[in-house]
Amino acid sequence: MGSRVSNRSPIGGTLVKWLAGIIGLIFLFPIGYLIWGTVTLGDEFWSTVGARTTLGPLWNSLRLAILTTLACTSIGTGLAFLVARTDLPGRSVWRILLPLPLAVPSFVGATALLAAVGPGALVSFLPRIDGYWGAFFVLTFLSYPYVYLPVLTRLASTSPALEEASQLLGGGRRRTFAKVILPQIRGSVIAGALLVFLYVLSDFGAVALLRYNAITRAIFSSRLFDRSTALTLGLLLGLLALLVAASQRLITPGRISITDMNVSQVRYRLGRYRRVALAGTVLPFLIGLAMPVGVFVFWVFRGQPTASLGYGGWGDDLGFLGAPLLNSAAAAVVAAIAAVCIVLPVGYVGARARGWLPAAVTSAVSSVFALPGLVVALALVFWAIQAPGVLAQLYQTFPLLILAYVLHFGAQSMQSSQAAIADLPSVLDEAARTLGASRGRRFLTVDLPLIRPGLVAGGGLVLLSTLKELPATLLLAPIGFQTLATKIWGAAEDGFYAEVGITSLVLIALSAALTWMIVLRRQPAELPKRSG
Amino acid sequence: MQIRSLALVAIAFVGLAACGSSDEALVVYSGRTENLIGPLIDQFSEETGITVEVRYDDSANLALLIDQEGSRSPADVFISQSPGAIGFLAGQDLLAPLDDEVLQMVSDVYRNANGLWVGMSGRVRAVVYNPDLIGESDLPDSIFDLTDVAYRGMVGVAPENGSFQDFVTAMRQINGDEVTADWLQGMADNDAQPYANNSAIVEAVGRGEIPLGLVNHYYNLRAIAEDPSTITKNYFFPNGDIGSLVITTAIGQLASSDREDAARRLISFMLSQSAQGFFSEETLEYPLISGVAPSPLLPDLGEIGAATYDFDSLGGGLEATKELISQSGLEGK
Repeated sequence: MGSRVSNRSPIGGTLVKWLAGIIGLIFLFPIGYLIWGTVTLGDEFWSTVGARTTLGPLWNSLRLAILTTLACTSIGTGLAFLVARTDLPGRSVWRILLPLPLAVPSFVGATALLAAVGPGALVSFLPRIDGYWGAFFVLTFLSYPYVYLPVLTRLASTSPALEEASQLLGGGRRRTFAKVILPQIRGSVIAGALLVFLYVLSDFGAVALLRYNAITRAIFSSRLFDRSTALTLGLLLGLLALLVAASQRLITPGRISITDMNVSQVRYRLGRYRRVALAGTVLPFLIGLAMPVGVFVFWVFRGQPTASLGYGGWGDDLGFLGAPLLNSAAAAVVAAIAAVCIVLPVGYVGARARGWLPAAVTSAVSSVFALPGLVVALALVFWAIQAPGVLAQLYQTFPLLILAYVLHFGAQSMQSSQAAIADLPSVLDEAARTLGASRGRRFLTVDLPLIRPGLVAGGGLVLLSTLKELPATLLLAPIGFQTLATKIWGAAEDGFYAEVGITSLVLIALSAALTWMIVLRRQPAELPKRSG
Repeated sequence: MQIRSLALVAIAFVGLAACGSSDEALVVYSGRTENLIGPLIDQFSEETGITVEVRYDDSANLALLIDQEGSRSPADVFISQSPGAIGFLAGQDLLAPLDDEVLQMVSDVYRNANGLWVGMSGRVRAVVYNPDLIGESDLPDSIFDLTDVAYRGMVGVAPENGSFQDFVTAMRQINGDEVTADWLQGMADNDAQPYANNSAIVEAVGRGEIPLGLVNHYYNLRAIAEDPSTITKNYFFPNGDIGSLVITTAIGQLASSDREDAARRLISFMLSQSAQGFFSEETLEYPLISGVAPSPLLPDLGEIGAATYDFDSLGGGLEATKELISQSGLEGK
């Protein structure tokens, strides 16, 4: 079923390009706001950029992002392979559990880590982990799903025929993986790696609590009383992201376009490596999920249920979480679907078009993800508050909030859909064309079923990111619209740890339920075994 | 995508449109979290029949938001967790002067001289310490002694926190920029440890990571409420030392508000006996009006000789404070 790629899009090429161009422009709003804010600074801009207090934290952010990306890429790819293609024990449970750390807000993950390990913490015989290694640790084990989820999806649609051929021809497992499987999943791996890189650049919660002087800390500490510095540093981060995102195209392979659907994949027997593989799966689960969950449970039971303010501890009424639970679910599901639909044309152009346009639009979409959420939110406030007429009515409404999520997290869904589209075999499209199918019909009946797993995986990432999103929700949600994440923030702000704990547990449970219902249920969990 | 998903979206949109905000409601942007102000807002609504809608976020973020919204801000009232953020809005001419009778309810050190905001409750700057690591008798009489080599690497600070910055501003006004810059530099040179916020310092002191930290008195009391076996304690510098400064939470009305009457009623309500009693008994802060006693759990302000400072002269002073803190290197390497 595999074949060469065609550069022809089944949907009208020009229309899609126009759409992608317009969408790319909308994603430039946040950087536009930063340029607008800094353009009057003149020399001050350059002296801020060149200052020791800028370059130091910038380098700190970069080296943290690089190492975390390497770690997440190995962990995410490894886990995806184990779950999708081996006889790992309990893999149907791992499928659901492994993406969940993505829904834990980084500031909560960091607080939990500090409460969990180190002298004076719950597990006091282990050394305390903070600073660079603390931030690396927390961000790695909360962000590997950016790689895991897309690669897991891709591994379900690679060509088993090639793997079998490789094995028949005497290529060992290792060579089969390196020479046959890896080239097929490489696009998804790189896409996930870029997401991790940009996310680490944007993170504030973990680095602040773990006392690592990243560039986002400088942005936050200067946001109110030294705004020109905050804007300059924000712009620097945005431009860096544009550059990195544009260079992604240089390292992404020439397309090896093989997508097989509804085939049973080769499943490799782990044999004597079973235990090692299981340990390798349990470890990220323990650190990314079990450790924070353990701390949350501890906080809930340590608390005093008679306390008068907030949620005091186990036994207190949980009714206060009802509305936030529904709000979180609605916002996350709507944002995921909206993001997938809105960035789809960009994915097509990124995968298919030639010239400068694909690099421009995909970089624009990716750049927003590297900005701190607060900057994205303030940018939208800036544009929305001065919008003319009816548009101004959108200010602090649900649709604008969804737009904020889509802008901030659109990169996640775009990377996934771009990788899926790039892997589409063109032979089917050509056959359908020969049979006289219209462009729309070819999209709906040929492309969509094939790229759907990729779209759903990207949507899943947006879903989990939205569940934990804070700055835009706080500033742009309709007034009174509280989510589980904003509840967690409020409780943490004033030291209500039992409330942080119970709300985080509910958030993780909701994440699990939604991930299963929307993302994983649709993918074939168990296929007939083949020998490996 | 799936029909079912689309139906879900449609339902969500309709549901959310239905619960949109009404034009009648009084809109409050609150830098104080829901746990610490929500019950009072509910009580106000019940007593007056005025619907109140609240947006909660960090005080500095909300001040930025109001500044960006300008005259189109939907907010009527701003509640700030410390004087700095509300002082910033006063400096941008975004607040309306309050009535004298409201202002007169609190001492003039707890309100803006131009009547643009009024204090709501008081928090005292304190040292949180771990008695297993340092005895109370080893704690200094003045915050200026913390630059002594005896405290090298021992002190946690939160340089990005609003009340720390407000405290530094007060020190600048009282002791001058030079002394303040020296102290900040001295702290940085003495390897003071920067933390993200007050809660993080209290936690770190509790774990024994550092023996002491500069915080607001509230956070250790909260830690004890959460976990009665908490060993950390508050210490207050004696004799009116600037290290025991009273910092107020504050409330003001936006100049752009067109619900002036309701806004003023809410502000007066926050200075009523019952609201001040809530701060005293429930949030363990200091009430600011006469006739309401602080919780017996709190030391008497007169006894510790807490310093007060007239925050109304903040003016453009906060930019300079921020600059001094940045220059000292206290924010970390």
